[in-house]
Amino acid sequence: MHPAQTPRSLWALSKGETCAVLGFDEALPEPYRIRLMEFGFHQGEVVTCLLRPGFGAPRVYRVSNTVFSLDVEVARFVLVEQSAVGSV
Amino acid sequence: MNRVLLIGSPNSGKSSLFNRLTGLNQRVANFPGITVDVASGPFARMPDVELVDFPGTYSLQPISGEEAVAVEFFQRSLTDPEVRHVLCVVDATRLEKSLYFTLQVIRECQERGKPVTVLANMADVLAVNDLTFDHAGLADAIGAPVLLVSARQGLGIDALLSELRQKLITQPAVPSRWSETPDELLRGSAHQLAQRFGPRGDVLVQSQLRLDSFFLNTGLGGIAFFCIMFLLFQSIFTWSAPVMDGVETVVMGMGATLVPLISNQVIADFVADALFGGVGAFLVFVPQIFVLTLVIGVLEDSGYLARAALICHRPLKVFGLTGKSFIPMLSGVACAIPAIYAARAVDSPWQRVMTYLAIPLMPCSARLPVYALLIAVFIPDETALLGLVGWQGLALFLIYFFGMFAALVITGVVSRLASGAKSELPFVLELPPYRLPSIRPILRMAINRSKHFVTKAGKVILAVTIAVWVLGYFPNGGTDLGTSWLGELGHWIQPLFEPIGLDWRYGVAILSSFLAREVFVGTLGTIFGIEGAEDNMQPLVEQIQGSGLPLGSGIALLVFFAIALQCVSTVAILSKEGSFRLASRMLVGYLVTAYLLALLTFTVVQALL
Repeated sequence: MHPAQTPRSLWALSKGETCAVLGFDEALPEPYRIRLMEFGFHQGEVVTCLLRPGFGAPRVYRVSNTVFSLDVEVARFVLVEQSAVGSV
Repeated sequence: MNRVLLIGSPNSGKSSLFNRLTGLNQRVANFPGITVDVASGPFARMPDVELVDFPGTYSLQPISGEEAVAVEFFQRSLTDPEVRHVLCVVDATRLEKSLYFTLQVIRECQERGKPVTVLANMADVLAVNDLTFDHAGLADAIGAPVLLVSARQGLGIDALLSELRQKLITQPAVPSRWSETPDELLRGSAHQLAQRFGPRGDVLVQSQLRLDSFFLNTGLGGIAFFCIMFLLFQSIFTWSAPVMDGVETVVMGMGATLVPLISNQVIADFVADALFGGVGAFLVFVPQIFVLTLVIGVLEDSGYLARAALICHRPLKVFGLTGKSFIPMLSGVACAIPAIYAARAVDSPWQRVMTYLAIPLMPCSARLPVYALLIAVFIPDETALLGLVGWQGLALFLIYFFGMFAALVITGVVSRLASGAKSELPFVLELPPYRLPSIRPILRMAINRSKHFVTKAGKVILAVTIAVWVLGYFPNGGTDLGTSWLGELGHWIQPLFEPIGLDWRYGVAILSSFLAREVFVGTLGTIFGIEGAEDNMQPLVEQIQGSGLPLGSGIALLVFFAIALQCVSTVAILSKEGSFRLASRMLVGYLVTAYLLALLTFTVVQALL
C-alpha cells in the first residue's frame, strides 16, 4: 500500500514515466471524460508517457496496447498518481 | 434484399475488410448535410446480400454532430427488417480499445433481435509477432461468435462467409445477455474481458515507439515531415500534370472533331466554348483529385498522417485550426478543389469550417498566370546581390506569402470572434501502428472522390460556365467582348473599379475570371486584341504598360486576386462539402474583403508615390 500522493496532471509526466489514472478534473466536460474512458483511461489503469515532442506539441501516451496523443487542454485534466509499475 | 451491416472503430481494418468482401462493386453515399461516407455493395461471393459499411466510430455515445448522425443512422438501420446480421470489426492486437464499443453494438443488436458476429481482424499481425488471442473464450464470455480474420491476407474469410450464409438462412435466436446493461457496466466488463482474453506482450507498441521516436523527434522528425510534404506537393503539381494535359488534349480533340460537323454557328460556338471548354476546364482537375486522394490515403493507411497532424497541431491551434488542417492547406497551394476534399480528415466540424476558410486563400496554381502578368508589368526583370535575388521572384514570393498569412489571420480572427458559437473537439488522437498501406481500399476511395467531383460539382460548374458564355456571346455573336452583355456589365460596374484606378476592361476580366482565375489573362488578351496571351504574355505586358495602368492599381489587383474567391469550381465543391450557406458567405465575404483591401492598397501606394 502506497501512502496517499498529491494527484498530478498527465501533462506533467516526463518521458518514460508511468503512472496510474486517478480520475478527471471536474473542468473536463463529461463527453470528453467518457471518450477518454472508452479509450482505456480508467481509474487505476497504467499510463505511460512515451514521447514529449518539442515546441509544446501534443504528447504521446500509452494505455494498454494503444498509443494516443493528447494536447495540453485535455491531458492537464487527467489526474494521475505514481504507479508501482515503474517506468519504461 | 438481405442486408448485413459492417461496423467497427477507426483503425480496425474495417475498410480493408469491406473491400475484401465486396470487391470493387460499391457505391458511396453521404449522410444528408455532412461528409460521412456510407459505402454499400453486394458480397462478391453472395451477390444477393448487400454489405453496408458504416463510418468508423469509437462509441455509440457520440461527442460530435457527425458521430451523432452516424450513430442515429446505425440505430435506425437496426429496425430495418432487411438487415439480417451485423458484423462488428475489432483490432485483435488492441482489444481494449475496441471491446467497449463492441459490447455496445451487441447490446443494441440484442435489444432489436439482430445477430452479431465479431470479426477479430489482424490475425496475420498476431501470427507474425507470435501473439495469441483466446477468441473462443471471448466468444463464450460475450455471447456472440468471434472469428479471427485477416482482411489483408484473406485469412478466415471463407469461414466468415460460410457462417454468414448459414445464419442468413436459419436466423439464430438472439440472446439477451447484455440487453439493458448500462454503459458504465459495459465499460468495466470490456476492460476485464480485454485483460482476460486479449493478446499479451507489448512487442507491437515497442516497434511503434521506435518509429515514433524518429518521426516525432524535434529535429529528424521535422526533416522527415518536410521531405514527405515535399513529395505530397510534387504529387499534386508534377505527377498529375501529364494526365491533366492528357485530359485537356482529349477533351479539346473531341471538341475539334465534333464542332466542324455542326452547321449552325451559334450552336458550334456554344459546343466549342461552353460545353467542351467548360467540361475541359473542370475535368482537368480529376487527375489532381485522384492523385492527392491516393497519396493522402497512403499516408493515412501507413499511420503517418496522424503523426503529421500531431507535429502541426500546436502552431495551427493559435489560428483556430488543428494539426489535421495542415495537409488540406498545403494541398490548397496546388489547387483548392482536392484540398477541400482532403479537409474531410478534419473530424471537428468547427475546425473543418476553419480549414475551408483557409484553403481558398492559399496561393493556388491558377493565381500564378495572373501574378506573373501583373509582376511582369510592374516589376523590372532585374536581379540584385550578384544575381542571387531576382526582383520578380521576390515579388512572387511576397504575394504567395501574403496569401498564406491572410489565411492564418482570417481563421485566427474568425475563430476568436465566434468563440461562443464554436464547439471544438479536443485533440485526442489515436496513433495507429505503422503498416504497409492496403492499396485497393485507397484506390476505391480515390475513384469515389473523383466520381463525386464529376457528378456533383460538375453540374454547377457547367451551369455557371454556360451562363458566362451566354453573357459574353450575345447580342453580337461573340465578335466583340466589349459590346457583349458581359462587356455592358463591365461598363455598368466601372464606377466600382474606378476608385482602384481600373477601367471597364479590367472589370470585364475580373468578372470572367470567376470561372477560373487564369481566365483573367486570356480575357485581357482578347480585349487588348492579342491572341494566345495565356501562352505568350509579353505583347500583353507591353500593351498594359502602354495603357498607363498605375502601380497602385497593379498592386491592388495582386491583393484582390490573393483574397477573392474567384473560382466557380471551388465554390461548387464548398457548397457540396460544406453547405450552400457557407459557400455563398465565403464568396461574398472574400469578395468584399478583397475589394476593400485592394482599395486600401491603391490609396496607400498612390499616396506614397
